Amino acid sequence: MNGVNWETYDEALVKEAAKSVVGHIDPVMMHYIENCVSCAACETACPYYAVGEEYGPVNKAENLRKLVRSEVAILPRIFPWLFHSHVPKDAEELNKWAEMAYRCTNCGLCYVTCPFGIHSGEMIKLVRGFLTKTGRVPTVLKAMIDMEVSGTYSGIKGFMDLWQSVLKEAEKAIGKELPLDKKGAEYVYLPSLAEAMITPEAIVSSIKILDKLGLNWTMPSDPMSIRAPVGALAGDGEAAAAVVKRIYNYLKEIGPRYVVMSDGGYPYTTYRFDLPRIVGEKPPFKVVHFVELILELVEAGKAKIIQGDEEVTWHSPCKMGRFAGLIEEPAKLLSMASKNFRKLESHGLFSRCCGGGNSIACIVLPTMQFLGKLTGTTMQVSDEEMNFLKKLEHDMYIASKGKIDEIRKSKAKIVASACVGCIHTIRLSSRVHGLDVSVVNIVEVLADKIEKA
Amino acid sequence: MDILDFAVYVAPPYVVAAFAFGATYRLLKYIFLWKRGPGPEPRKRGAGSLVKGLIMTFLNPIIESIRRKPHDFITGLVMLHILGVIPLIFLLDQHIAAFAYWFPPYALLAPLAIPLSFTTSALTVAAPFKPVSEMQWGFVNTIWGPLTVFLNGDVLAVLAMLGVAYKIGDKIVRRAHGLTHVRIGDFFDLGLLFTILLFGFMAAHHLPSGDIVTYRTVLGIHIVLAELLVALLPFTKFWHFVFGFWYGKLHEWYDLKYKRGVAE
Repeated sequence: MNGVNWETYDEALVKEAAKSVVGHIDPVMMHYIENCVSCAACETACPYYAVGEEYGPVNKAENLRKLVRSEVAILPRIFPWLFHSHVPKDAEELNKWAEMAYRCTNCGLCYVTCPFGIHSGEMIKLVRGFLTKTGRVPTVLKAMIDMEVSGTYSGIKGFMDLWQSVLKEAEKAIGKELPLDKKGAEYVYLPSLAEAMITPEAIVSSIKILDKLGLNWTMPSDPMSIRAPVGALAGDGEAAAAVVKRIYNYLKEIGPRYVVMSDGGYPYTTYRFDLPRIVGEKPPFKVVHFVELILELVEAGKAKIIQGDEEVTWHSPCKMGRFAGLIEEPAKLLSMASKNFRKLESHGLFSRCCGGGNSIACIVLPTMQFLGKLTGTTMQVSDEEMNFLKKLEHDMYIASKGKIDEIRKSKAKIVASACVGCIHTIRLSSRVHGLDVSVVNIVEVLADKIEKA
Repeated sequence: MDILDFAVYVAPPYVVAAFAFGATYRLLKYIFLWKRGPGPEPRKRGAGSLVKGLIMTFLNPIIESIRRKPHDFITGLVMLHILGVIPLIFLLDQHIAAFAYWFPPYALLAPLAIPLSFTTSALTVAAPFKPVSEMQWGFVNTIWGPLTVFLNGDVLAVLAMLGVAYKIGDKIVRRAHGLTHVRIGDFFDLGLLFTILLFGFMAAHHLPSGDIVTYRTVLGIHIVLAELLVALLPFTKFWHFVFGFWYGKLHEWYDLKYKRGVAE
């Protein structure tokens, strides 16, 4: 597979990309752009500040401000030097912008720390969109977006063999055939290919839970996406919308009351909160994470959890905690599941970021190698991009160290989480930082302890 | 007509017009960019959780500032904002008198006025005798009592100037480190604020000399620069006080606490 060219600079393309970014500005984004007083209160909250002060959110988001000023404001267009308004002038500057944009996990810590409620992560997402349009997008991310939009991932033997092996494993676990693509089912379980790759046991455990609870459920026979919407990670709203709409149509055909997810990362917040905006209507079903489903059934007396004694802790994924309000719910379930559950030091709204979200852990070299092995292909990347990827991996381990230290301090042997990206990052990073810990999806902790009441 | 006459009798309507134009322009942008569309069903949380969430939305940045950047908290928030410009602008007794001249209901704040100097309050605390007076009070007669040892124009102006100076220094260091988020406008805004404070302090102390022409000039410059700040307010970072801070935090509350159900 040929890589993306990171060496060239096309001025017309850059200008066109800048114009398209301006078209995405709504009142909230306008507030983010205009109302920063540059106090930099956000910077120490960012996991990448540990890598260097230039990676503070305010500094990274400034690139969007420069770009917007250069396109829409009158005085900054006349006096760009006075108002800091410009688009990248050459390939080197474009690459620098890419380096900064890919030092953001969009974890939202800057958002809740900012005295003005400015979400720099969302601004950096627009910068990524701009960069994608100029051709600066990591090769592996571009490949995943293209495959997800076109659906060609389902033609890759390595992916499909893996998917089928996970389904077989699940069938073995419940001792019966899986109710695939069953119209009229009350619950649709929606796992992704990424879960099959990174957390296959989470899919098996989720299916075990649905079966144990005796629910009328189904799931797609083929993976509906790599991890929809991958396009959002590169700021490619069009690609993201195309995939989400396709999955939405599938769900409407099945006609469930609930869509249940085991991945509590960005796929969950996309379906739970962004779906109406993307599809232009209120969905006829509710989107819930397994944590919500189980807790509701336990509290209604319809299910119970047998308590064990594993030394387990909870890493709150930013999308499930800060951006979906499920902060105490997973902790509550885990404390029912183990008398040795302990919260991490930063548990809560300001839960420390894993350092690898927003595609970072999924594009670094170990992941590329893993994907290459799985698909039997080699991704060729340019020297420039290879340098970018090597530095990114190095920086990711620095950014994730705070989380690893926190886990080490908790003395937990198992880290439960719910986001594929978080789990992958903590696994990679714990190895680098010498922490021996098992990192699993929360459904894996609960599957064997849950019983129908 | 000298600069003081210009500042008091000529400039105000133009300042108000510039402010109104700028504020309207900025607010209209938000209205024109707004698009109606279907939204998600909010996660249901109780009223108590939403109220707590609202309070914490405003408090969290302060708590985080104390935890992560205590030097910024002390200089930027406490010295510059809470003890500096906010009480100075709105409660200094000379300012209350001036604002009430232009807008009479402002006089309602007169009981909360803080004095210009700390002399009398210092005497209240430090003098070994009480003043000979048939009245009920000692040296000070404001609602703040001996607190005016601290709550007075002199101390607060010095704190505010130190806060602004810290901010300017911080931005110089950031520029030297190659950080691009520091803009030339930041230096203009902070420089303007510092100059206003300095000229206000000088006018209060009849500096550099006590003659009437110098006094009127220094006070006139103080007021004209303050009027410039108000006129430029919608076009500068000072807009955060009028709009950005309130809109930003209320939107954050709506987004995270109301819509997504974050209960902290």
